[in-house]
This record gives sequence, C-alpha cells and structure tokens, in this order.
Amino acid sequence: MDLTLLAQGLVSGVLAAGLYALVSVGLALAIGVIGVINFAHGEFFMIGAFLAYQLFVSLGFDPLLSLIFVAPALFVIGAVIYQTTIRYVLEAPELNQMLLTFGLSIVLQNLALVIWGGDPRSISGVPYRSVGYQIGGISIGLVPLGSFLISLVLVLALYAVLARSKLGRAMRAVAQNRIGASLVGLEVNRIYLVAFALSALLAGIGGVMIAVIQSPTPTVGFAFTLKAFAIVVLAGLGNIRGILWASLAVAVSESLVATLVPNGDALRNAVFFAIIFVVLVVRARRTA
Amino acid sequence: MRRALPDLLWTLLLAVAVALAPTVLRALFAQASVSYLSIAANAISLAILALSWDLLARTGQLSLAHAAFYGAGAYSAAILAKVSGLPLVLGLPLAALVAALLALGLGSVTLRLKGIYFAIATLAFTEVLKAVVQELPTGLAGGSAGLNVPPLFRPHFVPGVMQRWEIAFQRNEAYFYVYGGLLVLAVVVSIVTQRTRLRAAFTAVRTNEEVAAVMGVRPARAKLLAFVLSSALVGMLGALEAMRLGSVIPDGTFAISTTVFALVTPIFGGLYTTLGPILGAGVLSAVEETLRRTFAEGYLIGYGVVLVASILFMPRGIVGLFTRLARRRSAPSASDTEEAG
Amino acid sequence: MLRVDGLQKRFGGLAAVQDLSFQVEAGEIFAIIGPNGAGKTTTLNMISGLLAPTAGRIELAGRDITEATSAERCHAGLGRAFQVVQPFPEMTVEENVMVGALYGKEGTPYAEARRRAEEALERSGLSALRAVPAEELTLLQEKRLEIARALATDPRVLLLDEVMAGLRPAEARLAVDLVREVRDRGVTVVFIEHVMPVVRDLADRVLVMDYGRPLASGSYRQVTADPRVVEAYLGRDDEEDEA
Repeated sequence: MDLTLLAQGLVSGVLAAGLYALVSVGLALAIGVIGVINFAHGEFFMIGAFLAYQLFVSLGFDPLLSLIFVAPALFVIGAVIYQTTIRYVLEAPELNQMLLTFGLSIVLQNLALVIWGGDPRSISGVPYRSVGYQIGGISIGLVPLGSFLISLVLVLALYAVLARSKLGRAMRAVAQNRIGASLVGLEVNRIYLVAFALSALLAGIGGVMIAVIQSPTPTVGFAFTLKAFAIVVLAGLGNIRGILWASLAVAVSESLVATLVPNGDALRNAVFFAIIFVVLVVRARRTA
Repeated sequence: MRRALPDLLWTLLLAVAVALAPTVLRALFAQASVSYLSIAANAISLAILALSWDLLARTGQLSLAHAAFYGAGAYSAAILAKVSGLPLVLGLPLAALVAALLALGLGSVTLRLKGIYFAIATLAFTEVLKAVVQELPTGLAGGSAGLNVPPLFRPHFVPGVMQRWEIAFQRNEAYFYVYGGLLVLAVVVSIVTQRTRLRAAFTAVRTNEEVAAVMGVRPARAKLLAFVLSSALVGMLGALEAMRLGSVIPDGTFAISTTVFALVTPIFGGLYTTLGPILGAGVLSAVEETLRRTFAEGYLIGYGVVLVASILFMPRGIVGLFTRLARRRSAPSASDTEEAG
Repeated sequence: MLRVDGLQKRFGGLAAVQDLSFQVEAGEIFAIIGPNGAGKTTTLNMISGLLAPTAGRIELAGRDITEATSAERCHAGLGRAFQVVQPFPEMTVEENVMVGALYGKEGTPYAEARRRAEEALERSGLSALRAVPAEELTLLQEKRLEIARALATDPRVLLLDEVMAGLRPAEARLAVDLVREVRDRGVTVVFIEHVMPVVRDLADRVLVMDYGRPLASGSYRQVTADPRVVEAYLGRDDEEDEA
C-alpha cells in the first residue's frame, strides 16, 4: 500500500472532520439543549454559504471578512425562526417537529433556489483558494486547513462556553431539567432562543467556509443535515464532547475510502452511513 | 374482524369509485382527462406512500428507510425485466417479496433502537443500499446510469377509429387501475390493523414496549409484522412507478424526497388512522398542483409554508382537527384536558 | 407457585440484589418490604423479565422462567402492575384492559377476551369508566386500571409494586379490599409495600430486604418484632425519595 496515499487520506479526512464537527455541534445544541429535532439545520449552513457568495460577488468581500456579517445575520435568522415557529412545537411529539422543520427546509431551499438559481455558485476568485502546502508528499490546501482550524476553535470555544460560562451552565441546566430550571428562575425560553440562534450561527459559519471549498447549491444544506444527525446520534445524544471524535471517525473513514479504493469517491456517503449503521446496531446489542 | 365490516364497505365503495373514475373523467373532460388521470395516479401514489409509512409508525418505528424499500421494489422489477423473459407484471409480487425480506432483515437488527436512533439507522441503511445497488455489475443493475424499464402497458393505435390522445388515455387509464388496486390493498391492510386486535398490539408497543411485553404482547413480532407489511406495499409501489416512468436510477429511485413525502403526508392528514394518510395525500396533491399552476417558479416555497402552518394549527393533522371538534361538541363537560401535541 | 433461588443482580461493582431466595405458595399474599434502596423493585423487575439477573433462578409453577421474555412469562401466568402507573394514554380504559385480555394468553379468541376484560373491569370497579381515555383518569382510577389490565391477562401470580403510594386512607382501604378479592378468586399475590398497616392487614407472609439481601421472613408480627428489622428501618437516614 502506498503510505503516502494513506497519509494523504488521513490528513484530508482530519481536515474535513472540522467542518462536520462544527455543523454537528450546532445541531447537538438544538437537540440537546432545546430538545427539538431540527431537520432544517443544514439550511442555516446553506444560507451562510450563499450569503458569503453574494457578499463576495456584490461587494467583493473576502469570505473571511464576510464572516463578520454572516455570523450575526445567521444568529438573527435563527432567532427569528425560533421565535415564530420552533417555539411552538417544543412540547409536541417528535414527528410534529420533523414535519415543521422539513417544511422550513423546503421553504428555505426553494427561496434560495429562486434567488440564486440551481447552479452551483462558488467563490472562485479568491486569491488563496488554490494555495496549498506540500509536506512530505502530502498536499494540504490552505483553505481546508484554515476551515479546520476555525472549526476546531469554534467547537472548543463552545465547549468552554458550555462548561464554564453562566450561559453555558444555564443551557446545561435547561437541557437536563426544564421544569426545575424554570423553577429556579432561569428564563427558559430566552435560553432556548439563544441556543437555537447559536446553532444557526455555527452552521452558518460552516457554510461560509464550504462556499470557498466547494461550489454549493441550494440543496447542499440537507445533505449536511443528514450527516450532522448521523454524527450527533453516533456520538450519543447529549454527548457534545463525543462529537469531535465521531466526526473524526467518519470523516477519516470517508476520506480513506475515497483515496485508497478505486472509484472510492462515489462511495463516500455509503462509507459514512455504513459506519453509522454498524455502530448503532452493535451498540444497541451491547446494552441488552 | 366484525368491527372492520363498515370500513370494508367503504373500501368497496372506494374500489368502485376507482373503477369508474377514468370513464367518468373521459366523459367529462375528453382530452384533458389524460393529464387528470396522471395527476390522480400521482395522488394515489402519495396515498400509498403515506398509508404504508403510517402503518409502520403505529408501532413507534419512525422509519427514514421508506425510499430504500421503494427503490428495492423498483429495482427488482427492473432487473426482472432485464435478465428474464418473465412477464413484467410479475415484478409486482417480486418487489413485494424482496422488500419484505429486506424489511425482515433491517427490522430484526434495529429492534432495540428507539426514536431518533432508529430513524438514523434506517436512513443510513437507505444510503448504503443505494450505494450497493450502484456498485452492482452494470450488466445487472446499470450502475449509476440506471436501467430502462419496459412499460407495463402498450396500447396499440388503431388509426381512423381512435384519436391520437386516446393512446395516452388508454395507457394512463391502465396504470390508474393498477394504482387504484394497490391503493385498495393498502387501505385494506390499514383497516385490518386498525380494527382487529393488531391495533391493541401496535398501540401498546408504540406507547411503551416494556409494559406491552409484560401484558403478553410480543413487541418483536408486532414490529416486524408492521415493517414487513409496510415495506411490501411501498416496494410494490416502487415497482409500479418504475414501470410507469420507464427507468430506474440510483439517485432518483432512492431519493430521500420519497421518504420525506411518505412521512410528511400522514402527519399532515392524521397519524394512526386510515383516512388521515388518504386525506393528506389528496389535500397535499391538490395544494401542490394549485400552487404549481399559480406560481410557476418557487411554488414549493408556498408548499413549505403550508406544511409549517399546518403543524402549528393542526398538530394532530386534519383528522385530529375534526376529532377534536367532534369531541368538544359532544362532551362539553369533559375536562379541557390538554391534548399533548 | 413462585420460587426464587439465589437471585443476584450486579450493576458493575454494585450488588443491588444478592443471595435472594424465597418461595410463595399458591393462594398466598406475600409481601416484600424493606427500606428504600433495598432492592425490592429490582427483584420484581427481575421476576417479570424487565431486568436480567446476574445469577439465580426463577420458577413459576414449577417451570423455569429465568430465561423467558416478559411476554412469555405473562403467557405462563405472571401478571404485573407497575408502581408508576403506565396506562396506554391514547386508549380508553376498556381498550387498555383489552390489551391484557387479548394478549395475556396466546390465541385468545376475541369473544373470550371481551369476557375476561369485562370481568376485570368489574372486579376493579371500572365498568362505568370504560370509555374514558386513560389519560383523563385520577390516580386511584389509574391504579385500578393497572390492576384491571393485569387481571385481564388471567394471571396465576400477580406482582404489585407499591400500589398504595399516593392513595388517601379511604382509597387505600378500597385497594386492600380489591387485592383480597383477587386472592380469593385464586390468584397468588406478591406485593411490595411501604405502607405498614396495609402489609399488616393483607400479608400472609412477609419478607424483609435490606441492602439487596433477605433480612428476615415470617408473619408480619414476627418480622416487626425482629430487632434486626427494626434497626434496618430506624437506624438509617429516613429519606423518602420515592418517585
């Protein structure tokens, strides 16, 4: 086996894991803290991507710069969506939440379709897009590296916020015991609002980065939604720390198969989900 | 089974309506009836999707694998046509069999998974199955380009006697009958599980598996039965649609949108009922058609808005809305208990 | 009728139940009591098949049910009412009981299930409430439903887990009468209880558990006189933390 190729696959996988983790962590916030099954999560990702694209095309904003605008924009969008719709299905059965968020997803996807059309839009004029480094035969793109680092920083920052800050403690309290938390005076609805808006923000940032790496279409969000769900479930509901590991595991496997196996690229998704499936089934057996 | 009698009579009525519909449509609309029949077939297809998904949901198994069985059925028919000389219509029972066996397999390994874990596992299964089908030898399953599927009906044109559009009409009419037949079958299965002791078992398992077991219900048996029935139905639908469309292709035939429609429709119409999925399919089809004709582009935005609004104002679906109204009118003294969801 | 031998349940390093052996004769009313955390509900869960024992044997009417599923145990004649009532909320009282009647024994024809359900409803005084959705019942009604549903499965042994919890004295008396009636019709009853007067009135024999082990057994009078039992109850922090 070509060791260089193996190493390349590993490195590419690790770099990709960052983005997966970023999007998944946001979803985990929604599911874990608020308790809502949000199938529209990936649309925040998609909106981030297209906003970055539009800022680039209309105002010439470098994607890094546009982060400053996209992040708060997504926060607001998330807050609005929470306040107008999500808030009302918190107590409802999971299926209702799924229907609501699927509906939202359809609305957002098609809005984007109408505004930007279905063709892939990429931020291709960015100077550093094709910059890469060669280390011992392994090529590392600047952009994938950058997005990995940004994602890592954000995820770790979120961990820190959850573990130490007042807001984080409040979020954890609410996640564990909604009624108890409100009894001690925590404004539960406001915490939910912040958590949801935060999850949108995180996904949106991920979207900005994907816009530079790939050429997103309006449907890119949903694919990420499904993968994010899979990762969150793989890590185990409520286990936000585990998401980094879960993302690593599936991203690296995906990448290894794509690099080493002939025609492996077409099997990416299959590998991703095969791992999820096997782990879920095996884990269920163990807790007999 | 005795209690199922009234419902089965309604089903008979449905069957008669299906049998007569093409003739009536043709008499009323002549050439336009060709497209109406097609639209009606689509609505029926959605109803079958919804009924079969609802069936499974009754045991608490929220499946995101519906597209997998749909695709499995479609491909069974396609491959049957490709490798054997057997009549295409055998593709339908074959599809049911293949889907049922797959369901047995998937259902067995996921018995211990609950809620979102089950959902994601079934979703993962669908993706893997799609990839497997794609990687099968091209001579067998056509790889990523898919296969062509011969049509089920080839009406022949008799010049001078028939008008041109009548070929299309005959073709659509024939398909309509088969769709209608499958719908009647789905309705019967749904009624039987609703009006016999199976309802008790399914609801018990859905509510609380452990308590159900302590009462003597075998959860595994109930869940697997629901899975097999549900999958066989949607597998046959997949085969039928493949024949009507004329092709199968991994990305399209296993598309997640099939699953999304399958689950959205019964929730919209009213879960755990027979009327709910049918109503949901009818209304949603009508809504989609109307929106499409009114706003050419972006009509799906309106569709999404309808879905969002529906769950906010009708949390128990259309049927739930009527039930609540009826209950409120008949028993005003019954407490204003908060209906969850 | 019911026999437990060397039953043990470990969770990791913690032994929730250990060295538990006892026998219940047909037609007896047998009480299991003990301080909180003594392992009583764990024992009941093992008997009804919701928890797998780490060691030991369970026999019902001479038949080894240690490996049997909960459903199989029900078919063999084991009925159970839960401490935290678990009705099927979407179904009416009647439908709830019918679940037990239809599936409690394999291959029960519909007519016979109806008959059994009727009887169970009557015995627990719920006939008038048959069409009420289970989610609208009061606590006492829910407890009756628990018992009615278990009765509908035609059990030979009925396991009751703290059915008196949360009942007012008058209600508790009614429940006691119901349990006695159930026994008088030939059902063996094994129940966990904290409310001592109930145990005194109902139990033929009592088993005291502490820290997962059997501590003493005998008549109510005998065990309450036992100094070890007294110490077990009084010599500990009295936290009532029941769900």
